[in-house]
Amino acid sequence: MRITESFSLALKNIASSKVRTLLTMLGIIIGVAAVIVIVGLGNGLENYIADSFSSMGTNTLTVTVQSRGATRTMEVEDMYEIVEAHPQELELCSPTVSMMGGVKIGSETASASVSGVSEDYNDIYGYAIAQGRGLQYSDVASRAKVCVIGAYVNQAYFGGKAVGQTLRVGGQALSIVGVLEQREDSMNEGGSDDCLYLPYSTAARLGGSRVSSYVVTMVDEERIEQSQAVLEQALTDFFGSDDYYTIITMSELLDTMTGMINILVGVLAGIAAISLVVGGIGIMNIMLVSVTERTREIGVRKSLGAKERTIMEQFVIEAAVTSALGGLIGIALGYLLSAAATAVVARLMGEALAVAPTLFAVVMAFGISAGIGVLFGYLPAKKAARLNPIDALHYD
Amino acid sequence: MAALVTFQDVCKYYHMGDSTVVAADHISFEIERGEFTAIVGSSGSGKSTCMNIIGCLDVPSEGTYFLSGQDVGQMNKNQLAEVRNEMLGFIFQQYNLLPKLNLLENVEIPLMYAGVPRGERRERALAALEQVGLGDKLRHKPMELSGGQQQRVSIARALVGKPAVILADEPTGALDSRTGREVLSMLQDLHSSGHTVVLITHDNSIAVQAQRIIRLEDGHVVYDGPADAPEAVVTPRAADMRGREHT
Ligand SMILES: Nc1ncnc2c1ncn2[C@@H]1O[C@H](COP(=O)(O)OP(=O)(O)OP(=O)(O)O)[C@@H](O)[C@H]1O
Ligand SMILES: [Mg+2]
Repeated sequence: MRITESFSLALKNIASSKVRTLLTMLGIIIGVAAVIVIVGLGNGLENYIADSFSSMGTNTLTVTVQSRGATRTMEVEDMYEIVEAHPQELELCSPTVSMMGGVKIGSETASASVSGVSEDYNDIYGYAIAQGRGLQYSDVASRAKVCVIGAYVNQAYFGGKAVGQTLRVGGQALSIVGVLEQREDSMNEGGSDDCLYLPYSTAARLGGSRVSSYVVTMVDEERIEQSQAVLEQALTDFFGSDDYYTIITMSELLDTMTGMINILVGVLAGIAAISLVVGGIGIMNIMLVSVTERTREIGVRKSLGAKERTIMEQFVIEAAVTSALGGLIGIALGYLLSAAATAVVARLMGEALAVAPTLFAVVMAFGISAGIGVLFGYLPAKKAARLNPIDALHYD
Repeated sequence: MAALVTFQDVCKYYHMGDSTVVAADHISFEIERGEFTAIVGSSGSGKSTCMNIIGCLDVPSEGTYFLSGQDVGQMNKNQLAEVRNEMLGFIFQQYNLLPKLNLLENVEIPLMYAGVPRGERRERALAALEQVGLGDKLRHKPMELSGGQQQRVSIARALVGKPAVILADEPTGALDSRTGREVLSMLQDLHSSGHTVVLITHDNSIAVQAQRIIRLEDGHVVYDGPADAPEAVVTPRAADMRGREHT
């Protein structure tokens, strides 16, 4: 008897008891769908993070200095000197001074994130000016009371006509000299368009603190390691030790985040995979019942010349086909749920996070479900094959 | 040339705890090609035991059984399955058709296990069903048929593989007397067209339809000869007594 005949026999048997087959497959369906959605979610999250990181610039190095305890303190000029001393590796530099809250527009309090930066900041991140002008060297040098705002602030508080108006940061009035171009598809409070940039010198005076953080761009994105090494060496030389600074690259940060997401997805997918095992046990259970129910059929088949191997094959294939069919339905369900999840995320969070099932996950899910069928179908099939034909013929 | 079926001192023991049941006790006979033999006896006399051994569903505990010159006792399970497929056709009292398959598919089963290609299988199954007069019900399920018709399907299934021996175990047991006679005459037709038929029954009136009777009692052969001899249907005393006790 050929293997194709065993398959058509299995399909016939499955088709003859649809409800039972569906119930048998349920565990596999749920397990496969869950694995696909979870892996798709992780995949979507990874893409989303990679996208947001690339918009933040992957050719940047973020330097934080902790001068406390060091024999030398680092002034902004020292950092500029270091960058200028390595033109083959390092290009632009901007101090970054983050300020917490305190934006007042008229009598309203705004949530915009406030950063003190240099005139090069827009070039570093590729931000374009929509109205007015960007920050200039003279603003920094003179600690001018000016600022550039994000498109959201312009839209939400000034009706799109912010240039020339004033707002207050930390009690200091600043005049708005420019508006940045919109960066996100849809603007939200707290989003990247809800921002405000002022000269770092002004910010440092307002905050009463020394500049301790810088963003530096590399000449060549492909040479991250060399560029980072050069900067590290220069900073170590400056401080006479490597204890007083840290350098973070965006790609490092991305790797760390991706690694964490992968661990999370792995754990969740593992939990979902348990339901595949439970599904397999369900299949085994039903196959054992089926062998008992079909004892007489097995006896008849044996009396007509079926060998143990043939009977075995019939039951294993039936289990495998049931399980693989469940896998296919699970894949379809997984895709459906992924599409639904993408839509829900888009509505709830206004973010374009696509839950994208990977081909690998789909192939794996199918393979594993078929494998589970074979594995858990083996025992019942063995039982069927071993039946004594005489006893089986008289079973009722 | 050796006989088709040769029993040489065949014994079959069943061990039930401490006691041993002797179901077949040194049974010897030969059945030639083309014979129509009835194995007859009262309940528990060992008919089914003999039929299981002839049908290669079981092997003797002692003694030897040659089927077409081959020693069945020496065969492994796979070889037994092959012999059942190629040499034997079974007709059961309860028909034993597979309820989910249609008639054509039911009759095809032995050919499927023999590895006959699909097209030829269809043709031969069709021919066998036509031979038993059911050529118009190919797509029906067994449950849609009367008992007599179902038994005819099982005859077609027994025939289709061109077996050396057709074994019928109480084939009329579940039928009324008229359909029973039909099935019997079908077996007689098979015999006259050259088939070797072994009929197992407890009923003398059915056994006499055969050519030859082997009468069993308590696992022994008590008569082996032509069906039309007067001794063939003499009810042995012991069985008579047993019958009276029950009434
Ligand atoms: N599997 C078994 N285990 C134990 N004893 C058995 C088994 N099969 C048959 N026997 C015994 O062997 C003897 C012969 O049984 P067998 O089934 O061959 O009789 P039979 O002539 O077919 O009877 P019936 O007309 O009732 O079918 C009986 O005493 C029976 O109890
Ligand atoms: Mg019997």
